[in-house]
Amino acid sequence: MTEQVIVNGIYSGVQYALIALGLTLIFALMNVLNFAHGQMYVLGAFVTYYVYGVLGLPFWLALVATALTLGIVGVLFEKFLFRPVLRRSSREESSMLLAAGTALLLESLILIVFGEKHRGVPSVVSGVIKIGDAYLPMGRLLVIVLSAILIGGFILFMQYTKPGRALRALAQDREAAQLQGVDVGTYSMIGFAMGAMLAGMAGAMLVAISGVNSGLGTWISIKAFIMVMIGGAGVVSGAIVGGLILGMIESIGYQMLPGGETYLFIFIGLIIFLAIRPHGLMGKPWG
Amino acid sequence: MQLEATEIHVNYDHVRAVTGVSLSVGEGETVALIGANGAGKTTMLRAITGLTRPDSGEIRYEGHRLDTMAPNDIVRAGIAMVPEGRRVFPYMSVKDNLLIGAFARTDKNGVNATLEMVLGRFPRLKERYSQAAGTMSGGEQQMLVIGRALMAKPKLLLLDEPSLGIAPKLVQDIARSIVAINRDEKVSVLLVEQNSRMALRISHRAYALATGAVALEGASKELLQDDRVKRLYLGGEL
Ligand SMILES: Nc1ncnc2c1ncn2[C@@H]1O[C@H](COP(=O)(O)OP(=O)(O)OP(=O)(O)O)[C@@H](O)[C@H]1O
Ligand SMILES: [Mg+2]
Repeated sequence: MTEQVIVNGIYSGVQYALIALGLTLIFALMNVLNFAHGQMYVLGAFVTYYVYGVLGLPFWLALVATALTLGIVGVLFEKFLFRPVLRRSSREESSMLLAAGTALLLESLILIVFGEKHRGVPSVVSGVIKIGDAYLPMGRLLVIVLSAILIGGFILFMQYTKPGRALRALAQDREAAQLQGVDVGTYSMIGFAMGAMLAGMAGAMLVAISGVNSGLGTWISIKAFIMVMIGGAGVVSGAIVGGLILGMIESIGYQMLPGGETYLFIFIGLIIFLAIRPHGLMGKPWG
Repeated sequence: MQLEATEIHVNYDHVRAVTGVSLSVGEGETVALIGANGAGKTTMLRAITGLTRPDSGEIRYEGHRLDTMAPNDIVRAGIAMVPEGRRVFPYMSVKDNLLIGAFARTDKNGVNATLEMVLGRFPRLKERYSQAAGTMSGGEQQMLVIGRALMAKPKLLLLDEPSLGIAPKLVQDIARSIVAINRDEKVSVLLVEQNSRMALRISHRAYALATGAVALEGASKELLQDDRVKRLYLGGEL
């Protein structure tokens, strides 16, 4: 039974890490808390539902379509909403309110386009493997593997490529980055698009396992905020650690507290944790 | 002249930071910009690199108008700046700080050659190659940001108070590096300093700013002997 809890925790944790990574990237680059992150995740799920479930195209093609769609949404959000507001107002509540507005906007659009029904898709792979005493359906194994590849790819990109270095520099010191020739506009856009893509890819995997409905977004955003608070805002390692910890705690909670009090305890624990460690586990501006 | 700023005015909200400064830097020259706290030295450098837009005036560099260009394009035109307070990327390694300095360049072989040159000039950076820049000493960070600026292979290097908060012995090293860079790499230098003595010793010409305007200008050798300069900028140490 403990083995099953661990396997479930890892399954949720890697997806959560993917979500938190996107949120923390946007935060580090633009100092914007992307309230619409959960809605981007839901949009990603619906695109995959449409391409794979409705059109019947291959799953990998659905993933590509999801990445492209969310990339475009990210570019549009940055260029036409956040950039003008951040340029005109240095007050933090301006971008906060805008971010909240974009969440409501995206949620309404998703509701209009995809409706309010819960949607699922046929299994991508079938079968179950047994790890010790734990069962792991192949579909979930696929999600774990894909998420790990995306997280690993993201880290390698940030660490070893020229655009990755530019994004890190921008997050650490905007002006100094400009002095090295980094175009703030272009790279903010790239960063926002990448953050949106990461959320969308997590959503694409969700729909393959448990389906999606248009109301999930806010709850996912809240979970993403929790992960980032645990790990430390704006830190790559913090997002990954925060995601894995939340996934594991959730898995343990669901096992021990079938009554649904899990999140009550998570919130209480989080408040106590933040009182002791307000910057989270890895708290520093950018890693 | 390689760089020519004419009648520059810069206001921050209601503060008049620079009021009608004209200055120039010729090819191969080292020019010092000295003056007390708040005189407008940093503001002038920020205007040249495009980080702050002048309210009026004109900045020309090799025939281009800089005052309408974005900072990231100004680097590409050949101007690199070592900003006030160093501003290393603290969570990036020394290596990545240097590589990002070459961000605007596309000549891969040239970048490797420059990297060799920088590490040769500042062997300390080679020893600390993988260390996070934010954990280095102030002097090491200063070497790093000078190296980072050189990685852009600039034709004009702007330095904002490279001696600030650094041990006296290291100030001498940094001063020697600036002279060597100017001479060996054929880079013109515009050096902002509060350590006026050091700045006047290593420069060809100098401007002294006072409350946003040029109070004195001339050959550095002569300014070093000037009574007003001695009184106002060199203290009682002579
Ligand atoms: N961002 C800003 N907002 C408002 N006023 C500013 C700003 N930056 C500089 N100033 C003001 O402009 C004037 C010139 O500042 P500047 O930083 O150019 O001086 P400086 O000669 O570099 O001084 P220091 O030697 O202390 O670095 C000062 O009065 C300063 O208070
Ligand atoms: Mg200054």
